[in-house]
Amino acid sequence: MSDQTHMHVEHDIAPGDEEQHSVGERIVGYVVGLVLALLLTATSFFIAGTDLVWQPSIPVALIVLAIAQMGVHLVFFLHITTGPDNTNNVLALAFGLLVVFLVVGGTVWIMGHLNQNMPPMDQIMQMRR
Amino acid sequence: MLGKLDWSAIPFDQPIPLIAGAIVLVGILAVLTWVVVKGHLPYLWHEWITSVDHKRIGAMYILLASVMLLRGGSDAIMMRIQQAIAYQSQGYLPPEHYNQIFSAHGTIMIFFVAMPFVIGLMNLVVPLQLGVRDVAFPTLNSVGFWLTATGALLVNLSLVIGEFARTGWLAFPPLSGLSYSPGVGVDYYAWSLQISGVGTLVAGINLVTTVLKLRTKGMNYLRMPMFCWTTLASSLLIVAAFPILTATLAMLLLDRYLGFHFFTNEAGGNVMMFMNLIWAWGHPEVYILVLPAFGIFSEVVSTFSGKALFGYRSMVLATMAICVISFMVWLHHFFTMGAGPDVNAIFGIASMIIAVPTGVKIYNWLFTMYGGRIRFATPMLWAVGFMVTFIIGGLTGVLVAVPPADFILHNSMFLVAHFHNVIIGGVLFGAFAGFEYWFPKAFGFRLDERWGKLAFWFTFTGFYVTFVPLYVAGMLGMTRRLQHYNVAAWRPWMIVAAVGMAVLSIGVICQIMQLVVSIRNREALRDRTGDPWDGRSLEWATSSPPPVFNFAFNPDVRGEDAYWDMKTHAKQQLLEHEVPEYQDIEMPRNSPTGFVCAFFATIMGFALIWHIWWMVILGGIGAFATFVVFAWRDHDEYVIPAAEVAAIDRVNLEERRSLVSLAGAI
Repeated sequence: MSDQTHMHVEHDIAPGDEEQHSVGERIVGYVVGLVLALLLTATSFFIAGTDLVWQPSIPVALIVLAIAQMGVHLVFFLHITTGPDNTNNVLALAFGLLVVFLVVGGTVWIMGHLNQNMPPMDQIMQMRR
Repeated sequence: MLGKLDWSAIPFDQPIPLIAGAIVLVGILAVLTWVVVKGHLPYLWHEWITSVDHKRIGAMYILLASVMLLRGGSDAIMMRIQQAIAYQSQGYLPPEHYNQIFSAHGTIMIFFVAMPFVIGLMNLVVPLQLGVRDVAFPTLNSVGFWLTATGALLVNLSLVIGEFARTGWLAFPPLSGLSYSPGVGVDYYAWSLQISGVGTLVAGINLVTTVLKLRTKGMNYLRMPMFCWTTLASSLLIVAAFPILTATLAMLLLDRYLGFHFFTNEAGGNVMMFMNLIWAWGHPEVYILVLPAFGIFSEVVSTFSGKALFGYRSMVLATMAICVISFMVWLHHFFTMGAGPDVNAIFGIASMIIAVPTGVKIYNWLFTMYGGRIRFATPMLWAVGFMVTFIIGGLTGVLVAVPPADFILHNSMFLVAHFHNVIIGGVLFGAFAGFEYWFPKAFGFRLDERWGKLAFWFTFTGFYVTFVPLYVAGMLGMTRRLQHYNVAAWRPWMIVAAVGMAVLSIGVICQIMQLVVSIRNREALRDRTGDPWDGRSLEWATSSPPPVFNFAFNPDVRGEDAYWDMKTHAKQQLLEHEVPEYQDIEMPRNSPTGFVCAFFATIMGFALIWHIWWMVILGGIGAFATFVVFAWRDHDEYVIPAAEVAAIDRVNLEERRSLVSLAGAI
């Protein structure tokens, strides 16, 4: 099977297939990723408990840190890059993000609406009074 | 020791399921005895059960779907008879039994007929069309099939051991919650879908990877046959949507087993969340089913019109547009359940927009036929029947996509008629077209045309006689899932629908007769050329049935309609008796992993349903151990020596040369 897999895919390498980097380079990459991930995690825990910053900014900061964390994982551990050998992975990620956005966003919107128009029985009773 | 399981689980007081179960059991035992006595068991084990060959797995998927079609069809016949006689009376089915039947009918037809049928066809054909030797993960493919079979087995077990859900095919809470459905019915439903859902997910991952990563030389994305594109779109939807189903059913199971409150009215649960999540999966699901059917029709229409597909690129675009928009319409399944006008309007408009790419496809097929030399072989009949039927179904669909109209038609027989119109007219006709079209490729002989045409005309007529009356009944205000009714005006339509069901059943009998007659006359119907329909894509470039390695050489693709190209340009080269340089071919070894995994999954599923905890642990350990043994295997490939490849391929080349020289003589 291997003769087929490599026939036309010079520009399109699956995750785990990449052999062009030396072991040393790859270890450096993983270590940098690990350090960044730990740093972001530590910062999140620190921010959550601190009173050094304006309180309402804490949730926003946590969201930003979480997204950064995802980015670190994608780049350093899942090896998503913008190079031409990564088109499939980037497209798959984009499709996944789109679906998650549609389903989660749609759900939040729909459920909010349903709650507006279908309150529990006791609230309907109160409205009738 | 045995959890909730005891003798009261067997419905001794209900003759219908018991007799049906007994007949099936006798049938299975008879087949098994025949297999063992005739000594076919080693053959079955080595060539089919442990096979990781995508063609064999595809054929087994289709066999599973066909058997379950008979089961789901019997449920349909029983419902039609019940509604025909249950006017001002109880009919012959008590309510609790009737409710199980319509739930089982929907569950079986979607999950164990439509899904395995399209996945089977995709498995069978896509690697051949891409010009490669197997799918990306052959053993995983086998695991996926056997897990689907496990789900089907559990659903059928519920017929005689315990009961099935009485909740409808999507098991909405609170009805499916523990307080309103304390029995094992919903557990049978949920666990069989969880297990077969894993199977479907791995099939989807496998097919996405195959299309993206395994294509032969020169097979660009824009040279792939249409069926490969729709397979890609449908598999992407499987990968994106099935986890939603799994998560939703997992939450329902947590509610039922561990006292969680995701979908209860107490303790902060929200029943509507289930509705929302299950349809976020449910709407992409209908496109998972119908997109491959669109691909089949594209292949069939272009082959039997003798023309390249009209508007290939617009077809690709339409397919991918449907793939994305299918995730933006799910609310139209619950317009009436409390959302405000903003939400309803947006989702209503999205639902109407998704009809546009579908319309593009219809016009493309029509223009493919326009000016072509059309041969009305059986697959083409199904394709034309589909176009007529699907347009009607699509139009009623756009109608119910308008929220104000939906408020009147929601939950009515009109809706039942609509979705049968698109699923039978789209998916089932597509499955039958694909079955007739690719059967010679899979088994090496054609199907009998006379019986095939009879089957088409009876099914086509029967479909209209059954479902047009349901549209009318819906207009007259009849709601779905009625065990009996007192409205005189509905009665005649129910009787007509029952007559239609009888015609439809004759169609099914014709299909079975077609298979029997064709197998008996297989020598006369033998396809020696590998290209019985004058096809255009690569699956016709190899012999029928294809050798285990599909192609002795990886074909070199230079444009769309790869095989048609080769036929028109390479006739001379094919006639020259050059002897190609054959090479050894490595193929994946057979593996019982799938079968053994599914065996343990069956034990685990059954034990979970009946709360037999020690057996759950046993099944779980067994399935995991099988996986570990597979992961640590030493030899996963075997070599077919060049001499054997040459011997197999020479026969194919001779046949093909004689065909070409014959054509040259004319």
